Amino acid sequence: MKRHFGIFGGRYVPELLIPALEELENEYKLAKNDPRFKREFKYHLNSFAGRPTPLTLADNLTKKLGGAKIYLKNEGLNHTGAHKITHCIGHALMAKRMGKGRIIAETGAGQHGLASAAVAARFGLSCTVYMGETDIIRQRPNVFWMKSLGAEVVPVRNGNKTLKDAVNAAIRDWIENVDNSYYLLGSVVGPHPYPTMTRDFQSVVGKEARKQILKEEKKLPDIVTACIGGGSNAMGIFSGFINKDTVELVGVEAGGTDSTIGKHSSRITGGSIGVVEGYKSIFLQDKDGQLQKTHSIAAGLDYAGLGPEIAYLHSKNRIRIKKASDAEALNAFKMLSRYEGIFPALESAHAIAYAIKKAPRIGKDKIIIANISGRGDKDLFIIASAFKDKNFGSFLKDESERREYHE
Amino acid sequence: MNQSEGSTMNDIDKKLVVIRNDNRVGIMAHLVAGYPSMKKTESIAKTMANAGVDFLELQMPFSDPIADGPAIMNACSRSLAGGTKITEFMKSIKSISKNVSVPLIIMAYYNNVFKYGVDVFCSDAKYFGASGLIVPDMPIDEEQSEHFMGNAKKHGLYTIRVISPVSTHERLKKNAKGAEGFVYCTSRQGITGVHKELNNNIEGYLKRVRKEFKIPLAVGFGISRKEHVRTLAGHADVVVIGSAILNIINKHPRNEEKNVGRFIKSISGIKVH
Ligand SMILES: Cc1ncc(COP(=O)(O)O)c(C=O)c1O
Repeated sequence: MKRHFGIFGGRYVPELLIPALEELENEYKLAKNDPRFKREFKYHLNSFAGRPTPLTLADNLTKKLGGAKIYLKNEGLNHTGAHKITHCIGHALMAKRMGKGRIIAETGAGQHGLASAAVAARFGLSCTVYMGETDIIRQRPNVFWMKSLGAEVVPVRNGNKTLKDAVNAAIRDWIENVDNSYYLLGSVVGPHPYPTMTRDFQSVVGKEARKQILKEEKKLPDIVTACIGGGSNAMGIFSGFINKDTVELVGVEAGGTDSTIGKHSSRITGGSIGVVEGYKSIFLQDKDGQLQKTHSIAAGLDYAGLGPEIAYLHSKNRIRIKKASDAEALNAFKMLSRYEGIFPALESAHAIAYAIKKAPRIGKDKIIIANISGRGDKDLFIIASAFKDKNFGSFLKDESERREYHE
Repeated sequence: MNQSEGSTMNDIDKKLVVIRNDNRVGIMAHLVAGYPSMKKTESIAKTMANAGVDFLELQMPFSDPIADGPAIMNACSRSLAGGTKITEFMKSIKSISKNVSVPLIIMAYYNNVFKYGVDVFCSDAKYFGASGLIVPDMPIDEEQSEHFMGNAKKHGLYTIRVISPVSTHERLKKNAKGAEGFVYCTSRQGITGVHKELNNNIEGYLKRVRKEFKIPLAVGFGISRKEHVRTLAGHADVVVIGSAILNIINKHPRNEEKNVGRFIKSISGIKVH
């Protein structure tokens, strides 16, 4: 297996972790070609996660915008509400195969943590999830559900208290417990072989989408777009179209509130090459190489690093990278809800925002597929407050007085 | 290794010879630069050198130190919050190396080195008085793309390899090739931090390391007491004290030098039985 994507990727970890990463790579090489592993993976994707997810024509939105036809790959219909369950099933099967009884995960939006907790419960593994304190506050519903599934949720209080710090904490745990624990990294980031494995697991999304659009339209789309935190949902759907140059692949980063340091998470506009958390890629960092603060209304995009394969494909001009602001994402959320009856996760709303902007500028004969990486239920509190829903605010206040939460 | 001429011998090798001739366990003491302040770092370093340490390991604070436990992590973030920059770090190397006669070893995460420029980092580090580098997240496998060890060598700096109890025979062999100075063996599989007990399989592990490495062994991670050093005497050539020093600094604000000095005196000069 290749360790690098051009100059990106690699395995920049303390010597301590190298044997574990080598073991993982070797075992994955075997599993990849093992018909039983493949069968089991597919079985759980279908019977547990609910795959395949539908490709939905957004005809109201398309009419409203008056341009390209917009299709939605609705990953939000997966069990636990996002694409994350797909790679979690793959990794959990690996953990079992390797005889590890415990999984360690980090989470930003809580979707990867939730999916990890769910597969852990289903496969009889114990599960520890690291989550930045800032993210715990803003994605509280997922914290509750993770705990209900039996996971231990550990708040991370150092650094920026967001996703990158949760990754660091998870790596530290893994360093200490590498014998009995499997690190279930939540995106196409980190040291080799994680970016490759997680992309492989997620590639089922692209395979489905390709088959579905060919069935529906008898041709491939002109544009496929997905939001990019680390890049797992993007690499998943992109991989179904990557070998066709006529399909434009557009990743959408979080533009946040503006382009000053600490107000966004757009690594392509504000970042530079670095080596952090075990991989070489593009990071938001200062000139000494210290990671900078990031921001996005979407916790899952609020991350200073970029999947190394995404960085590589961008450097080769195979992927274009755009950004959508917090406000554009909220607007996209609103439009998709009103016109299509679908509420996307705030992460996914960034990809929708791009589709909304792009569709009217290109012909009606064009086709855009936007990946809805997850559904918006987890964002209830953020959205209610962003839309200044007074009724919901007073409901929350009354509810906290009405209910008994203590013994 | 070619060290035929004494005058071009790296200071690390010279010190290792002294330690062996004294028939005692050498001490490497670790500090996070800029914690609690750059001034304090410099004065504590001086105190430690006077109290008998053989090597000083000065860590450049990093925003995301994955191999470090709470004490060092906290010191890194406090130092960075206080405004520590690499240029200042280099200046502190210069001023410490002028004031003390023990070899200085820089510990840094690779991103800091990479962003500064690997060649320039090595050249500046040498120029300002460092003798070696410890970069834990720059494994030998990535040398082909990074030319880190190559650049260090070019500028006359040793790159200290770090290995652990889970290192396989194959990894030990790979790391032993071209290893310089001493090999840093983490006492246990884990991150930095103080532990009450030493790993009880440590002797077997160090024997395994000795078979592959022809250079002295330094043992670090979790060493905080005189008994630890005594236990290691005869198995390790050097012990590394890190978080234990930070804990003393944290416990005695304003009086760091006196307390750190006393601690170093208590653990140094322990003979190899
Ligand atoms: C719904 C959703 N979409 C996207 C992401 C971003 O991750 P990635 O870029 O790896 O798909 C997350 C991460 O938490 C998420 O929950």
